[in-house]
Amino acid sequence: MIIRRIAVAIDGSPHSLASIEAARDLALSMEAELRGIFVEDDNLFRLAALPCSSEIRPYSSEARPMEPSELEQAVRRQAREAEEALIRAIGQRVIRHSFTTCRGMVPEAVVAASTESDLLVLGRSGRSPTCRRRLGSTAEKALREGKRPLLLMRHGFRTAGPLLLLYDGSEGSRRALEAALALSAEGGLLNVLVLAGDPGESLHMEEALQAELSARGVEAEFHHLRPGDAKTLAQFIRMADSGLLVLSDEMHLEKEVVLELVSELDYPALLV
Amino acid sequence: MQLPLRLPPDQLRRRCDPLEFSFETTAELDGRREAVGQKRALDAIAFAMAIRHDGFNLFALGPSGTGKQTALMHHLESVAPEAPVPDDWCHVYNFEKPRHPKAMRLPPGRAMELSLGMDHLVEALFTVIPAAFSSEEYQAQEKAIHEEFQEEQAEAIGALEKKAADESIALIRTPAGFAFAPVSKGEVIKPDEFMKLSDGERKEIEEKIGRFKDELQSIMSQIPKWQRQTQEKINALNRSIADFALRPLVEELKNRFETLQEVRAYLDAVENDIVLNFYQFLEKSQEPGDSVKKSHAFNRYRVNVAVDNGKTIGAPVVYEDKPACRNLVGDIEHLSQMGTLVTDFTLIKAGALHRANGGYLILDARRLLMEPFAWEALKKALRTRQIRIESLGQLYSLISTVSLEPEPIPLELKVILLGERRLYYLLNAYDPDFSELFKVAADFEDELEADTEGKNSYARIIARVARDQGLRHFSREAVARTVEYGGRLAGEGGKLTARLQEISDLVHEADFHAESAGRATVGAEEVEQAVQARIARASRISEKIREATLKESILIDTETEKVGQINGLAVYEAGRERFGHPTRITARIRLGKGEVIDIERETELGGPIHSKGVMILTGFLGARFGMQQPLSLSASLVFEQSYGGVEGDSASSAELYALLSSLSGLPLRQSIAVTGSVNQHGELQAIGGVNEKVEGFFDLCRARGLTGRQGVLIPKANTLNLMLRPDVVEAAARGEFSIYAASHVDEAIELLTGVAAGEPDAEGNWPPESVNGRIVAQLGSMAERLKAFSQNNETPE
Repeated sequence: MIIRRIAVAIDGSPHSLASIEAARDLALSMEAELRGIFVEDDNLFRLAALPCSSEIRPYSSEARPMEPSELEQAVRRQAREAEEALIRAIGQRVIRHSFTTCRGMVPEAVVAASTESDLLVLGRSGRSPTCRRRLGSTAEKALREGKRPLLLMRHGFRTAGPLLLLYDGSEGSRRALEAALALSAEGGLLNVLVLAGDPGESLHMEEALQAELSARGVEAEFHHLRPGDAKTLAQFIRMADSGLLVLSDEMHLEKEVVLELVSELDYPALLV
Repeated sequence: MQLPLRLPPDQLRRRCDPLEFSFETTAELDGRREAVGQKRALDAIAFAMAIRHDGFNLFALGPSGTGKQTALMHHLESVAPEAPVPDDWCHVYNFEKPRHPKAMRLPPGRAMELSLGMDHLVEALFTVIPAAFSSEEYQAQEKAIHEEFQEEQAEAIGALEKKAADESIALIRTPAGFAFAPVSKGEVIKPDEFMKLSDGERKEIEEKIGRFKDELQSIMSQIPKWQRQTQEKINALNRSIADFALRPLVEELKNRFETLQEVRAYLDAVENDIVLNFYQFLEKSQEPGDSVKKSHAFNRYRVNVAVDNGKTIGAPVVYEDKPACRNLVGDIEHLSQMGTLVTDFTLIKAGALHRANGGYLILDARRLLMEPFAWEALKKALRTRQIRIESLGQLYSLISTVSLEPEPIPLELKVILLGERRLYYLLNAYDPDFSELFKVAADFEDELEADTEGKNSYARIIARVARDQGLRHFSREAVARTVEYGGRLAGEGGKLTARLQEISDLVHEADFHAESAGRATVGAEEVEQAVQARIARASRISEKIREATLKESILIDTETEKVGQINGLAVYEAGRERFGHPTRITARIRLGKGEVIDIERETELGGPIHSKGVMILTGFLGARFGMQQPLSLSASLVFEQSYGGVEGDSASSAELYALLSSLSGLPLRQSIAVTGSVNQHGELQAIGGVNEKVEGFFDLCRARGLTGRQGVLIPKANTLNLMLRPDVVEAAARGEFSIYAASHVDEAIELLTGVAAGEPDAEGNWPPESVNGRIVAQLGSMAERLKAFSQNNETPE
């Protein structure tokens, strides 16, 4: 996996802060360029222009009308904060970086802006009102329509931590393996969940992979599971609790199952 | 009337026969510590130490160096180890009232154990508590609580969001809050499209938005409550985790102090406090100032041991050398932090009263009284039977800072004050509390009986000093000489001085001379050398005076006979040494009305006792010669060349002899110096310093050359006090110097004039040739002259 440019979507939410750190770490290890993207939400400006718009603030008992000029300022401030967060995360490290602000519908704008990059990093959800566990609309859009590889980060996780690779011998899972090896820290443990319908085949795959990994000096721990629906997989992965999930949507598994798994699972995921 | 007795040499000095001692040298003696000849004082000490009632504290009074402390220590060494060991005391943090640190009583040795136990506990908590809080179990539980809150919030908002979405209204997060907006195909309706809607549709949308807004506001108003509930859950979790981590450690401590209810209660309080403040153990100090702040915070779990009797045997015996208030009752010290003074209970400092509690406290009364506030503080502690530590600085508002009031500690001890008699009597007279608090006085004698026991006790003291100080032992001859010196210091017949410090000093000095002479044992010569060296060291002034006399700057006649002039003897004190020297006393008479003028008194150079002596001798004269005729004379008496004042009545007999000589016209022998006071009957009474006086005159005569006619006349009552220097005794033995003892003025005047005093016949007439007869004749003649003079000068009517 060759990554030259990494795009990271920033909206100031906790997940997006985790995304910045993940993108920075990757940029550093792959000597890639980092590009921060902030989208000024068109919906907000439309809302502010409506005659009936009013804003409800936490810890305040009264709703107040929205002023387009105030909103403009507030959004710019957010953009500035996003840029500052990116610069702060980079700190003293030598990373080529840039920051772009664009206006539009957030999911579309993010997906569009990422087309020029080799990897899109974004939070599993943004500053949504409900703090939902499921994927946010932007992530959902990127997952369904965006390009690969895609890293969906979650607050509280790091890419340098333990990894769980979904492997079924398919071309897609081979790519995932390469990505996982590129990500996994030196001497780090790689957890591999081997998916095969037949136990014999499963063991066979493990042996082959074990030999390959040993040759490359990587220590791995293997788990076996019969391929099933997204719910069963998610259940198992939660039990394993091994951090970042690395997988491909071009495996023997149905693409829909993979997408549902990523969407359902409350873990960061790198989709290649 | 018989002549005064010339005393034989053996009466001039009480010798101590070395053969009275059964030992060769003091090395054979055990030299045990004892208080010699102080039975009265020892009984008082034993009584005061044994009685267990309030106020029976002891004042040991007597001159310094009489062995008061030795006697006390000797007694306490036998009593104190048998007494029970008192409890330990410590101060601990008062979790309810931090300004009032608690005082806790523990069995001997346990306070230190608790202190160490608490230190270890705090140290262990730095490992145990962070471990408990970084455990996966804790993290998971904490996460679950937070998520529960998030879920609750998300669920409420999510439900509203869904409800709104069903009616094509979206809930949108704005930079500062939330807003509802009509949507179409997932996007907020553009304003121009919205305006294209009919009024009814717009109104409907606005009505919906208003409704959802109200609902959202009601959800928002719940959020603080949910947050509070979440925080409470987190707190409860933290407490249970901290408690779980802490409990085994505290339990272990509690088990060690199972029987001590107070300690268990304290540990319960500690446990509660740590559970509430567990986060202190999680913080890592990063800044340099942090460690100070941190140690300050953890100080509260420390145990400040005030009294540790873990290694005490029996009751403690404490001698406080510097009985300042803070050293007695303790103090609350302060630390300077960033320019301000701070304190806490760990800075409470125990005093001598704490250390001596349950035992004995020995103090020097003079030092105690010289320390500001110390005497009042001691009395207060004894009266209230508790030690209350108060910082003087705070008590008198010298320091204005946060103050502590430690819980008072019950006090039960014996206080022993050592001091001079004067202090005891002054305190008794002026301090009403004193007699209440110090009910027992141990009155130490100044002298010992010079019997076998007394002499042997000197030997034992010498043996002890030699042993304790690593000095040479004394031969029996040296001991005998020391005993003689002790007798001389006592200044009283049949006594030895009890100021044993003097004897101890002499032992040191004699040892020095023995060392210089290369002797293995101190002999009589070295003791004599030491005594002589002492005299020589103090002899500068006496030699100056003698020198002035020899040069006749001071006129003292020791050869001829003179009318109305005599050599009296005075004693001068220079530091520790005393010496005697003759003083010329003269009397002149003239016609007058029967008064004796004391020039010393007239010039205010004479003290009251001296004046009294002169009046007494006037009384004697009046009674003897003024019954038949009025005393028609005026007499004046003076100490010639005396400019420094005269006190005492020891010269009253000398003044009387000078007066009698003046009246009778008989000259007095200047070679005999006299001393002694006289009463109205003419009897001679004992005076002090007789040895110094005799030696003073002897030294002058010897310097001029002893003629055999020279001598000193002393009152007979002073014979017992004679302890003259060996050279004086030897001169007396050779007949070169005489010491006479007389009991009446008439005996003395005969010796001094060579004429009998005479005895009155049945009619009261004196023999005409006697001294008294001549005086009567002279007085008669003076009366006649006065009468004739008066008649000649009478103015006719």
